[in-house]
Amino acid sequence: MANFPPVDGSTEPDEPRDDHGRPASGVEQSDLELVRRVQRGERGAFDLLVLRYQHRVIKLVARLLRDPSEAEDVAQEAFVKAYRALGSFRGDSAFYTWLYRIAVNTARNTMASRQRRPLEYEGNLNESEQSAVESRMRHMDTPEATLLSDEIHSTVNRAIGDLPEDLRTAIVLREVEGMSYEEIAEAMECPVGTVRSRIFRAREAIDRSLKPLLD
Amino acid sequence: MKEQIREQMSALLDGELAASEVGLLVRRMERDDELKRAFSNYVLAGEALRSPGGVLASAGFAARVGAAIDSGAPLPAAQPAPERGPLRWKRPLVATAVAAGAALAAVLLVRPEGEDTRLFAERAAAPAQTSISALPVGGSSPTPAQSQRLAGYLVTHGQYATPLGRRNVWSSALATDPGIARVTYESVETP
Repeated sequence: MANFPPVDGSTEPDEPRDDHGRPASGVEQSDLELVRRVQRGERGAFDLLVLRYQHRVIKLVARLLRDPSEAEDVAQEAFVKAYRALGSFRGDSAFYTWLYRIAVNTARNTMASRQRRPLEYEGNLNESEQSAVESRMRHMDTPEATLLSDEIHSTVNRAIGDLPEDLRTAIVLREVEGMSYEEIAEAMECPVGTVRSRIFRAREAIDRSLKPLLD
Repeated sequence: MKEQIREQMSALLDGELAASEVGLLVRRMERDDELKRAFSNYVLAGEALRSPGGVLASAGFAARVGAAIDSGAPLPAAQPAPERGPLRWKRPLVATAVAAGAALAAVLLVRPEGEDTRLFAERAAAPAQTSISALPVGGSSPTPAQSQRLAGYLVTHGQYATPLGRRNVWSSALATDPGIARVTYESVETP
């Protein structure tokens, strides 16, 4: 395991804050908490960061590479690099922003080393390029993997559709709209604790649907 | 108890768990594969909701990352990261500007009127020869003589090429032979 420099609280930067001087988003704060734990030697906290961001990083890398079947290898390299560099992460930016940069650079270096032209950042893809990449991504692995991915999506959507309306609304506001518990509580006119419970129960229901598929 | 822990996991995923509760939860999850599996499915559900049809990590991906970290396997040889932001487009512009300026200075200051182009090219390279001799040149770089010949060619080319063609040739020459930049600078500074 990498030895990270001890974290000295006196040299920590100020907590990230938004334009209104409020602390950064809950997810960013949560990431920062996990990062600090990794810096103190808790490897398990890094596992959670990998679990949280694995799909996003692989999706990003797959978009940058012309051969998306390499996406998992390059994403793995990016995560390992991030782990080894985490001692120098000071929290000046959100963890995902930092990880995103590492992933982009790793993908681009991979492409450069193979003398191939990388696709531009996802934001710069035009509609036909985007469509072509997504088509390749959908067929990036074996037919079994593609089938599994499609089944996961349909299972999740079916499970969401089967949820009671209050649970469905809460999970959609959280996952799709990115609203905080407080904002959801305001929108649904219920206590924050109820929101937390509804989102949890929605996730449990989805997990029960996914389990037979993934076990 | 298990349900309470899983609810904490759900809150952690949303960044809504109190920092004081994170440590114990992380330690529990580290020891409990079933908790990690459930956490992974919570994340998966969100991804599937946000991007229907998108690519997803395979089931063992996180475990493979963990194994790679534990094995301490060296990463592939580090390669220089590409520049980001404004500097990425400034570099070729600066190189082009330097090259174009040097070529222009060489043409205006050095070339006598009506002189034969070939002679002029040789003369343009000549002042650089003495300067280059004092500069260390890496083993894999072109030799000073090669750089001089290339500088002579570039100056000649600059007289006849279109601005775009001139820029392209100078840019690629600078990229492949750093000695050219030194030839250029010395040519201008010691006419």
